[in-house]
Amino acid sequence: MIEVRDLVKKYGSHRAVDGVTFSVARGELFGLLGPNGAGKTTTIGVLSTLLRADGGQVRIGGHDVAAGAKEVRRLIGVVPQEIALYTDLTARDNLMFWGRLHGLGGAALSRRVEELLVMADLADQARRKVETFSGGMQRRLNLVAGLIHEPEVLFLDEPTVGIDAQARSRILELIARLGQQGLTVIYTTHYLEEAEQLCDRIGVIDRGRLVALGDKESLISQVGDADMIRLSLPADRLDAFHAACGGWTGCTGVGERRGKVEVRTPDGGRLLPVIQDWLRANDLPLEQLEIERPNLETLYLNLTGRGLREEAS
Amino acid sequence: MTRVWIFAQRDLRRMAADRRALIVNLALPLVLTAVMGLSFGGGVFGKKGISAIPVAIVAEGVPEAMQTRFLDGLKKSGFFAPVWADSLEADTMVRSGKVAAALVLPPDPLTAFFQADSLVIQVWRDPSSEIKAGIVEEIVSRGVLRVQAGEGAFRALWPGDYAAIGADSVGFAALLKGNPVDIWNRLRGPENAGTREEAVDFIVRQIDHEVALQRALQGSAAGLAVADKAPTGEKKQRETSLFDYFLPSFAVFFLMFAVAAGARDLHRERARRTLQRQLLGPGSAWPIVMGKWVASVVQGLVMLSVLLGAGALLFRVNLGPDPWTLPLVILLTCTAAAGFFLALALLVTREKVLDNLCTAVILISGMIGGNFLPVDNLPAWASSAGHYVFNYWANLAFSRVIGDNLSLTAITTPVTVLACASLALLVVILTLFNARVKRGGWA
Repeated sequence: MIEVRDLVKKYGSHRAVDGVTFSVARGELFGLLGPNGAGKTTTIGVLSTLLRADGGQVRIGGHDVAAGAKEVRRLIGVVPQEIALYTDLTARDNLMFWGRLHGLGGAALSRRVEELLVMADLADQARRKVETFSGGMQRRLNLVAGLIHEPEVLFLDEPTVGIDAQARSRILELIARLGQQGLTVIYTTHYLEEAEQLCDRIGVIDRGRLVALGDKESLISQVGDADMIRLSLPADRLDAFHAACGGWTGCTGVGERRGKVEVRTPDGGRLLPVIQDWLRANDLPLEQLEIERPNLETLYLNLTGRGLREEAS
Repeated sequence: MTRVWIFAQRDLRRMAADRRALIVNLALPLVLTAVMGLSFGGGVFGKKGISAIPVAIVAEGVPEAMQTRFLDGLKKSGFFAPVWADSLEADTMVRSGKVAAALVLPPDPLTAFFQADSLVIQVWRDPSSEIKAGIVEEIVSRGVLRVQAGEGAFRALWPGDYAAIGADSVGFAALLKGNPVDIWNRLRGPENAGTREEAVDFIVRQIDHEVALQRALQGSAAGLAVADKAPTGEKKQRETSLFDYFLPSFAVFFLMFAVAAGARDLHRERARRTLQRQLLGPGSAWPIVMGKWVASVVQGLVMLSVLLGAGALLFRVNLGPDPWTLPLVILLTCTAAAGFFLALALLVTREKVLDNLCTAVILISGMIGGNFLPVDNLPAWASSAGHYVFNYWANLAFSRVIGDNLSLTAITTPVTVLACASLALLVVILTLFNARVKRGGWA
């Protein structure tokens, strides 16, 4: 359904998207994962015909996005990161406007608007101005506004930014339902758990480059079976800890991040007692010792040397 | 055009839903209009809509006591500020603009009146004082018409009085009928008994009566002659009512703020990404900005119409000589204003820059365009500079239509300039918007 080949988008000399290649099958829920400024929104901008690529090729539904922009726009729906709604109008007026913009009218438009209000669980709030809605309600309306013309492909650009956990979970449920209905979705986020929960396949993007691509399991397997053990140590004990690590079986690497020591090991369960013994022997507290199983965070860390959340913040 | 209207309709809905904007764009100017109207115009709130009209009265041969009573009567009416003058003084006063008109009665009008001579009243008008001189002419003309109508009615009611019948009930023609002997016998007859002197007296009396009646019937009892007196000496200021000027100029000033806010919305839509969402719709991009232009024009039309309408209803502001000149000026003012501020919005990339730019532009163009001072009173340099801002031409057109009651044919220059500017600015905004869409500048 979507083919992206060697996509390049430059702003002056800065390459915001640098040779990105991926494809998305019809009905697939594809996650584009990366921190702020990684190039996700720019990629969506090119895919949705708003931005012109400086290189590469993008085809959606068989149409080139540059040459066949009008055809592509009929196929796609876009849900921007911002609440792209008229907050001074009611929920229904908003949907009516976006519907008319896409050529709908009369009974068909009214029916579609009612469907979407129900889908967003806002049917009883339809006559309220959007500015009176909670963040979660606005997000849901923002999402369904992108569906008004029943697109085949939906681009969701960080649709859960700035809302609480409960509202987020409702949005994710809604997206999962859309995926089940056969809609092709490209979902950009910097929340790992969302990508893990929703997406069939994930592309990890960093500084404009696609650094990993595959399903969740295959991506995690790229990290290997490495567990991560984190602990806090006084600065004067760091050298001693490094020296000790060199002698322990199963310790494959030691690093430091955000004031914590990180020890990589194929089997955290075996190495953990050894570290605890060393801490006791050196009269150091055990409280701040934690173990983390391999996940997309560790993958990202492995690929870029930085944490996703760290970048996002 | 359907798509243009979809975008325009959305903006109009938003404007209608925005109470703050309604207050700023309509209620505030209305309050200001009321304050200005009460200060300068009066209207229905007690004062008269127009100040007393200075009039010179020329009536040589009228006794002084009667002059005083006549002047007092005119003053009491509240419409006139009369002064007594001879014909030479009156001529000078009209030409110099000291009085709007002079009312000139024929010499010795009382004698003419009592002799039933035709009484022709002249009105000398100051042509530059169209409204006030027109009012004087209208009032005098009505008075003359009343006299003429009264005479007509009198003739219709008592036609016998106009037949050649003697006052002594014997028809003059019947008396003189036949040969001289018959006439003599008739005069000496029992009904005309008396001496020969009495008979002669009777005949002379009959002849006098007949002659006077014939003379009275030769012309109307009263007539009106109107003459414009060309101004002399230095050019007199055009007659203006301050409110007639300030109402449209303040309306245009507020219009600029309202339309500038509409233009700023383009940047707000970009920041909120509703603009990008619209660009993702099917079809061309130009209806998006055209819709904004239409919405701004409609907003302006409503605003100016409400303000001028309120001015006309409450303060008797003149709405022009015909039903189409003022609406056309309003429409062209709105199209030019909408185009001007949208063009500004498309030339800058940030809302904050546009904000400051709009404020500066409105204040400067307000100064040189005649929003704070009537266009006819602007200093030469400001008037020259004003030619480059649309509001100068709008104010000029309003001033001519509302202040001078001129029709479309007399204001072709400002109307043509506004129409050309509107068209040119529309082309500019469509071109700039499309160019920016093509290079992805709205993403």
